[in-house]
Amino acid sequence: MIEARNLDKKYGNDTHAVRSISFTLDKKITSIIGQNGAGKTTLLRILSTQLLPTSGTASINGYDIIKDAARIREIAVSIPQESRPIYWFSPTILIMLYLGARGMGLRESRRAADKAIKKVGLWDSRDKMAAELSGGMKRKIFVAMALASDADIIFLDEPTTGLDPLSRIQIWSAIRSMKGQVIITTHYMEEAQALSDDVLMMNKGRVLSQGSVKELLKPFEGMVRVESKMRRRRSHKVGDTWISYVKKGKAESFVMEGDIIKSITLDDLFIKEGVNLES
Amino acid sequence: MNHNYIVMYIYASLKSISVNWMYIVSNLMFPVSLMIVVGILSQGKLLPFALVGGLISITAMSGVNSIAYLASLRFDFLYRDLVVTTKTTKMDYMFAHLLGEFVWVVPSIAFYFILDVIYGLLTPYTFLMTLLLACMVSISSYSIAFWITSRIKHTRNAWPIGTVLSLLLITVSPTFYPYTYLPKYILDILTILPTTPAVVLAQGIFGLTPSLPIQWYMLPILFVETAAYLLIAVYTTQWVEK
Repeated sequence: MIEARNLDKKYGNDTHAVRSISFTLDKKITSIIGQNGAGKTTLLRILSTQLLPTSGTASINGYDIIKDAARIREIAVSIPQESRPIYWFSPTILIMLYLGARGMGLRESRRAADKAIKKVGLWDSRDKMAAELSGGMKRKIFVAMALASDADIIFLDEPTTGLDPLSRIQIWSAIRSMKGQVIITTHYMEEAQALSDDVLMMNKGRVLSQGSVKELLKPFEGMVRVESKMRRRRSHKVGDTWISYVKKGKAESFVMEGDIIKSITLDDLFIKEGVNLES
Repeated sequence: MNHNYIVMYIYASLKSISVNWMYIVSNLMFPVSLMIVVGILSQGKLLPFALVGGLISITAMSGVNSIAYLASLRFDFLYRDLVVTTKTTKMDYMFAHLLGEFVWVVPSIAFYFILDVIYGLLTPYTFLMTLLLACMVSISSYSIAFWITSRIKHTRNAWPIGTVLSLLLITVSPTFYPYTYLPKYILDILTILPTTPAVVLAQGIFGLTPSLPIQWYMLPILFVETAAYLLIAVYTTQWVEK
């Protein structure tokens, strides 16, 4: 379980990345969603003891992120967003190196690496240089590191960014098979929807709301989204599109030529909050 | 201490030698070309100096080269960020990479030892002493590299700093010529570079320069410098970001 109380992070005097946020994460898979710059990565880096907060406290399974950082590093795994595999090492070596960094011995790490490599579908490329692998395969190396670690808490920062749909689905299934509590950040709403038991919505360093996908979408129950090029009553402007929410039954009479009707997704939470989404 | 990481990194370095063997050759290029130039210009007279100094400079080069390598692990691969959140400490990280890098230097050291044997310079005593000096130079130059890497902001900064450092450690320091060519005060200033006390001592051990007390002061100086550079690197390097 992860608990944060008034967690705050400032970079110098200008950037306030995380603004005194409090939350509890106790579900199997939690997605932290938000647009770029929402503070997701900073939050994950603080929780995984990579970065010190400016103020506030947080604990992971009862261990304080500052005082008990060494203990947290034993029970948690953190895969940074932009980590890239050292390209002259093979996936097997890279995973073994990471497991070695976590304190695992040579033989044990070899066994765990092989098992994880099979699970993420990298077996045929296990001894190739990372430089020879595709972007999706490279990302899978990091997911395999998390899998092989068998940690209680797994932090994955945007694990599927830039991947093709097939690779994303493969990574989702690897994430689902992880034994520990998983916290991922993503700006793909369908990813959060497909994976999460709990969603933490962030914007400009603040938590907008938290709950299961069903709970968060409750205000939209029985509604559809209508995207139009023309301004409508109670519509929100996103780019050059006007978005309205109407009851399913009334949608037919509401739409005009050129309008698009879409099902409600987590994107709509952000649209309602007036956030211009990138994804 | 997380010895598993250290063992694993050495293992990883050994495993990748077959695909990166050119790196071993490139490690040799700078000292060997300097040795050739010095040998030709001095009509062979300074060749023994270049042979002894070359061995010291190989280990120093390994440290200097690590600036770019460590910077790229930190900024390009974000590998350090990955390791920070494990039980590996900065000391473990440093030693693992120092020894991992040293693996690449071993063939070059062996090459220089063979040359020293051919020139009749190597005895069991000089062999052991040179090995000790090489280890200390390796630790101190790598510590300097580690400290610099924690201070720079981009990988690009690593290259010019590495070039300047290699110039200081290998060309300015009397690795390829007799230290007796230098005025005393210049030698005193250059003593701050770990290659200087190492090479002054080595030139004395190999009997290339007359035996003077200054050579024996250099051993404790090198010990103190190695410890100091190591401690500076360990205690002033920021591991967890603020």
